[in-house]
Amino acid sequence: MIHFSNVTKFYERQAAIKNITFSVEKGEMIFMTGPSGAGKSTLLKIIYLSEKPDEGSVTIAEWDLSKLKESSIPFLRRNIGVVFQDFRLLDNRNVFDNVAIALRIRGMLDSEIQDWVMEILKMVNLRHKADSFPQALSGGEQQRVVIARAIVGEPTILLADEPTGNLDPDTAAGITRLFKEINARGTTVVIATHNRELYRNTGRRVFRIDSGNIVGEEIG
Amino acid sequence: MYLLYSFRLALQSLWREKWINLLSVLTIAAGLFMITLTLFVVYNIDLATKRLPARFSVMLYLNDGLSEQETGSIIAQLKKNNAVEQARYIAKDKALEELKGVLKNADYILEGIDENPLPASIEIKLKKESVNIASVKKFAAEIKKIKSIAEVEYGEQFLNSIHSIKGMAKAGSLSLIIIMSAGVIFVCYSTIKIAFYRRKEEIETFKLLGATRGFIRAPFVIEGSVLGMFGGIASMAAALAFYHVLFYKVTATIPILKILVFPFETFPALPIVGLLLGIGGAVIALGRIRFS
Ligand SMILES: Nc1ncnc2c1ncn2[C@@H]1O[C@H](COP(=O)(O)OP(=O)(O)O)[C@@H](O)[C@H]1O
Ligand SMILES: [Mg+2]
Repeated sequence: MIHFSNVTKFYERQAAIKNITFSVEKGEMIFMTGPSGAGKSTLLKIIYLSEKPDEGSVTIAEWDLSKLKESSIPFLRRNIGVVFQDFRLLDNRNVFDNVAIALRIRGMLDSEIQDWVMEILKMVNLRHKADSFPQALSGGEQQRVVIARAIVGEPTILLADEPTGNLDPDTAAGITRLFKEINARGTTVVIATHNRELYRNTGRRVFRIDSGNIVGEEIG
Repeated sequence: MYLLYSFRLALQSLWREKWINLLSVLTIAAGLFMITLTLFVVYNIDLATKRLPARFSVMLYLNDGLSEQETGSIIAQLKKNNAVEQARYIAKDKALEELKGVLKNADYILEGIDENPLPASIEIKLKKESVNIASVKKFAAEIKKIKSIAEVEYGEQFLNSIHSIKGMAKAGSLSLIIIMSAGVIFVCYSTIKIAFYRRKEEIETFKLLGATRGFIRAPFVIEGSVLGMFGGIASMAAALAFYHVLFYKVTATIPILKILVFPFETFPALPIVGLLLGIGGAVIALGRIRFS
């Protein structure tokens, strides 16, 4: 589903990703871990086409990114749900609209959207907050809105960047359960985190990243 | 389709910045009103110059002592010419009579003149399409070749000045219309540019969620066209008010202005022109949308 082959990415002259090669199979759930500044976010950004690799080749769901036309980028992105580290919630829209926007972008009508969005909000346990605005939510609630928005379009890949960043352990555990549930439905999941609690005893592959290199692979 | 949602986004944004947008609409309206005024002036100049050919004539002065047959053949020859609409023979006596008519009470000037000093003449009305400098010059040159014609006279000065007035009006109005249109486009451009920058963050998120260029552009293009259209409607209202004041108030004191004609048929075009200029400004403001 995701193939990196000798991928390098420079910021100015500094390499954030150095000659990285790895693969994630369809339906897998894997973790990227490592200290802050290791290059985890950069790796995810390459997958969701926010950054372009300078060297090497990347294939996402059979799409060779180097051959991808710019006008096709939106359509590939619709196959990739992203839980952004900085959330990227729209402050001037309520929870419902923040989730619904992912479907409106796909050209779906309000009548088609309504029930499905409420269904997803129920899944992340935010149905009662549909009319609230992001500022009025706790960190954990905001995180779940972002997850709801990422999965509402039923992507084949779900990326999450530090999804438990500032959350208390209990809330974090809830988020992890949610990802497992999503993965159980067949979605390929990639989670970047420096929080070992997240992958401990999951039995999933964990890539250890440091200074832009994959320095180890283990089972969590 | 996402267009329904685009309309909602556009209307929300227009409403959120209603005062700035109102200002833009009024500026656009002012520009379009100026264009309407320009068209009004040009239209009337054009109309006036179109009426002139009916008054324009070429005079042929004949040599003295021509027989009836000779003048008849000259007139026949003239009537064969494609440029000629009408040729009227004015005999010597008739010319004197007309002159006396013109002088009226001052006809003592003619006292003591025994012999009629005026030549016989032919007054020619040219066809409308031939009343222009080139055709008239060509025509005059042709008929000068006819034997027994002493002199050809036409208002060369007059023709020249009509020609240059028309030319100046055309050039002036065209540049004014271009400048005003560019101004209207610029107002739409900057309004949309500002709206776009205000929503930059949101647009970045839309892109990451998989929005196409069309989805990103549509609300702004709609905003631009709404601004332009409302500007057009406002300018239409201004033009109607102008018409009302000019034709019901001003003509009461300056009746001659009644000959002015208002090109009403341009009025419904104003909202459409505004809309198109608005779309133009928005499209320029958006430029190329890039995803990476
Ligand atoms: N936009 C950027 N411009 C310049 N340097 C950057 C940029 N983004 C990240 N970096 C650098 O690249 C390296 C990897 O960053 P990042 O991928 O965010 O690490 P992580 O997510 O593992 O903390 C860091 O040294 C960071 O300073
Ligand atoms: Mg990071």
